[in-house]
Amino acid sequence: MKKMALLVAALVVASGLLGMAEETYVVGSDIAWPPFEWVSEAGDYIGFDLDVMRCIAILEGFEIEIQDIAFDSIIPGVMAGRVDIGASGFTITEERAQVVDFSDPYWTSDQAVVVGIDTEMNVVTALSGGARVGAQRGTTGAAWVEDELEGRGVDVNLILYETYPEAIMDLIAGRLDSVIQDEAPSIQAVDSYPDQLQIAGVIKTYEEFGFLVRSGDPHGLLPRIESGMQKMKDSGAWGNLVEAYFGPTLDAIEAAWEECIDILLEEGDVEAYAQCLAERAAE
Amino acid sequence: MTAEIWSQVWQFTPTLLWAMLINVQLLLALIALGLVTGVVVALIEVYSPRPLAALALAYEWFFRGVPELVLLFLFYFGLTQMGMDISPFFAAVLALGFRSSGYQSQIFRGAIQSVPPGQLMAAHSLGMGTMKTIRYVILPQALRLSIPPWSNEFSAVFKDTTLAYGIGVVEIVRQARYISVRNFPLTLPVFILVAFMFLVLTYLGNWGLGRLEQRLHVPGLETHAKRGEAREL
Repeated sequence: MKKMALLVAALVVASGLLGMAEETYVVGSDIAWPPFEWVSEAGDYIGFDLDVMRCIAILEGFEIEIQDIAFDSIIPGVMAGRVDIGASGFTITEERAQVVDFSDPYWTSDQAVVVGIDTEMNVVTALSGGARVGAQRGTTGAAWVEDELEGRGVDVNLILYETYPEAIMDLIAGRLDSVIQDEAPSIQAVDSYPDQLQIAGVIKTYEEFGFLVRSGDPHGLLPRIESGMQKMKDSGAWGNLVEAYFGPTLDAIEAAWEECIDILLEEGDVEAYAQCLAERAAE
Repeated sequence: MTAEIWSQVWQFTPTLLWAMLINVQLLLALIALGLVTGVVVALIEVYSPRPLAALALAYEWFFRGVPELVLLFLFYFGLTQMGMDISPFFAAVLALGFRSSGYQSQIFRGAIQSVPPGQLMAAHSLGMGTMKTIRYVILPQALRLSIPPWSNEFSAVFKDTTLAYGIGVVEIVRQARYISVRNFPLTLPVFILVAFMFLVLTYLGNWGLGRLEQRLHVPGLETHAKRGEAREL
């Protein structure tokens, strides 16, 4: 019996040491922006950015801990060393690149213009002639309206909101003519209100999203993130994740995720997980 | 808002109540910290020599003058940069607790000063030291007089706990956001439900403090004297 106890104790110590050996990095994300990151109805952190980070961590052999932080706090957190990786649909901009380091771009986003279903407006009239345009404060959509429309003398009334849902609620209430936002969340909004909203058009701004780390990359994370992304693209896992997250409804994605996630977290099989997720979400 | 929407919101009540538990834990921790620190700061302001009293006033001035969100950032990111590994919850307790102590010290200072100075002299003449007098004569009266303005502070900091989500504490407002970004049509009803929960809990808290005031009431000790300034809401 005593030998058993010793053996168990040794195993516990050994596993503790092994656990120590594997580095854990904190991934900061504002988990309220489907389909890139949101909290499922079952209470899980889910979304494209988060699954990509989970897959990269497995492929590159490190541990991650996902932490939900308000969007504005992520870059200060990275600068303070509180957060190791920012993964929250960050557009790569010059201002941000001055204080943090970005990975290679992993996503190209355009801006969609959402309008009411029974409007006569098209994408041009929805953004001119004194139209009331809603956007989320601090987003590239808002910046685009300011720089490319207001800055060039186009007559629009830009109204800024703290969150995207508030802008959509005001559009439905009739206080706005249109709302400008990244394409993927816009599609989700229209899916939530199919008989009230439609997308008038998409403005090709070609914004690029990147993951970000502390300036100078002290933990050497960027090469590992980029190598992980490359492995995912080569194996087809990347394409499957894109297919799973951009298209199906949130309900379908959540159901698929609950069904497949063990393949990733228990078995560590990135390829099989992405395939499972894409197949189940499409059903 | 249709009945169907409300029945949808209803199913999130347990989730929201669990998240509210975080706010309640935050409240209890921060208000206890603020109470202890606040009493000490007030005593220093009233009874200690000039330089120390000035230090206490500076402390009060700082924590009452800096916005809550800025304090949260200073404690969370600042302490990390100084090499301390601090959880968001603990950082929120420290930032909001010290801030509350600034306001609470004002309440206690006013209450202490409203105890007639003659009592201190009378106690001295009976051979009681200053510490003993504070403990057995001044504080029992001052703390009783502090309860009504203190219940104001209680209501205010309870609502302030919702700011902690800025540094990553998943409390009730954050939880409500999770639900609303997942179901846009529920945005307004979910926040109405959150407001209702706060109303019920602040009512219960103030009711409990009112009961406490009655229980501890001493005939003759009335609050007609100058009371500590209640924090403006």
